[in-house]
Amino acid sequence: MIEIRGLRKSFGQVPILRGIDLRVDDGEVLALVGRSGCGKTTLLRCINFLEDYDAGEVLLDGQPLWYRTGTDGRRHRVPDAEARRMRQQMGVVFQQYNLFPHMTALQNVCLGPRFSQGVPTPEAEERGRRLLARVGLADRVDAYPAQLSGGQQQRIAIARALAMRPKVLLLDEITSALDPELVGEVEDVIRSLLPERIMMVVVTHALGFAREIAHRIAYVSEGVITEIGDPVQILEQPKDPTLKDFLRRMR
Amino acid sequence: MTQGGLDIPTLVILLKGAGVSLGLACAAIACATVLAVLLTALAFSRLLPVRLFYRLYIYVIRGTPLLVLAMLIFYALPAFDLRTGPYLAAVVVLAIYVAALFAEVFRGGVLAIPRPQWESAKSLGLPPGAMLRKVIGPLVLRYTLPSYVNVCVMAVKATSVLSIISVWELTLASREIIERTLAVFTILGTAGAFYFVMCLGIDRAGRRLEQRLALRGFGGEHA
Repeated sequence: MIEIRGLRKSFGQVPILRGIDLRVDDGEVLALVGRSGCGKTTLLRCINFLEDYDAGEVLLDGQPLWYRTGTDGRRHRVPDAEARRMRQQMGVVFQQYNLFPHMTALQNVCLGPRFSQGVPTPEAEERGRRLLARVGLADRVDAYPAQLSGGQQQRIAIARALAMRPKVLLLDEITSALDPELVGEVEDVIRSLLPERIMMVVVTHALGFAREIAHRIAYVSEGVITEIGDPVQILEQPKDPTLKDFLRRMR
Repeated sequence: MTQGGLDIPTLVILLKGAGVSLGLACAAIACATVLAVLLTALAFSRLLPVRLFYRLYIYVIRGTPLLVLAMLIFYALPAFDLRTGPYLAAVVVLAIYVAALFAEVFRGGVLAIPRPQWESAKSLGLPPGAMLRKVIGPLVLRYTLPSYVNVCVMAVKATSVLSIISVWELTLASREIIERTLAVFTILGTAGAFYFVMCLGIDRAGRRLEQRLALRGFGGEHA
């Protein structure tokens, strides 16, 4: 379970997140939608501490992440080693896949388990092969990223995130950079994960996909969640006027 | 012997000199590479004084002519009761100098790593050692190899300056022969050719390594 309380973040004078409160339960898929620039990607990045934040808390299974309040009442970042252990409990998939270009598909997938988690190489490789087979790339284990299509690369990125056996998957617009005909294969991989009830936080512009996979949709507007709930309700009976407007534009 | 003579014994002497030059350059390049990796780490320290030390090192060493640096260190070392002899002093000077150039090359390589690559590695929770060996190092190596080879070639030629601190290498050997034979053009021409061949060898080795390390799938590869 992830809890976010009072999360605030500014880039200089510009407030990006203005008090986010959110709870994602185990096994839940939560979609974050909203206009570009509304803060949804920043929120996702704060959860994994790829961005620092100015105030508020992120908790994973009740354990506070990223910051501690010292005896002097001041807020400190946790030490790097601790932050690394925390990050290992989350898998991130980025819009631009971000595979390591000098490594094969299998090496990409095995890197985290081998060096972050100390899994012995044969075991890590077996895990990697299984995951690559699972995303439909059993025959491309030795291919390098640049030899693969965007859709294939993104499927490897998903396998790489899963290889850490994370408690939560954070997906940041994972189909936005893909050619339209490649979107389906990546979405299929995510669909295939649903029966496993992995907790997911999904930032997306694909409202149809969000409706299909998410248990709840949260609408983010100007740094706050203005409406959250059942996908059908959010998408068909929106109350917030800016959400109504957003949905009209998306159609 | 008269002007123009390039007999076998002379050639052998020049070859020996070239061997010393190459040996000095290789030793210095090896030391400088290690030193430069450490320096590059300083350049990205979170602590301002450490970063300032890095900049000071670069400005001072890069901003001093190698000739001046060589004489300074050669004459300064005995003052510290370090009687090293010219060869060790030569390697030290060249290593210190080349390390400053390498470090800037490596720093550029680190800066060239796209931010998303850092974020990927970070999100996997990789410890610093693995991050360096598996992600940062291999990428920096690929980005900087041509510039690195450039500096290596320069280092080979820079060994000629070391003759000033009585290091017997190709240039000093040539000067000695010229003093005896007055065959200025023949000897200097031959020495120049030897330098050229050494640099060519380093360049070829660099190219081969570049090809071996080329990122697969970006075109230009031999299928």
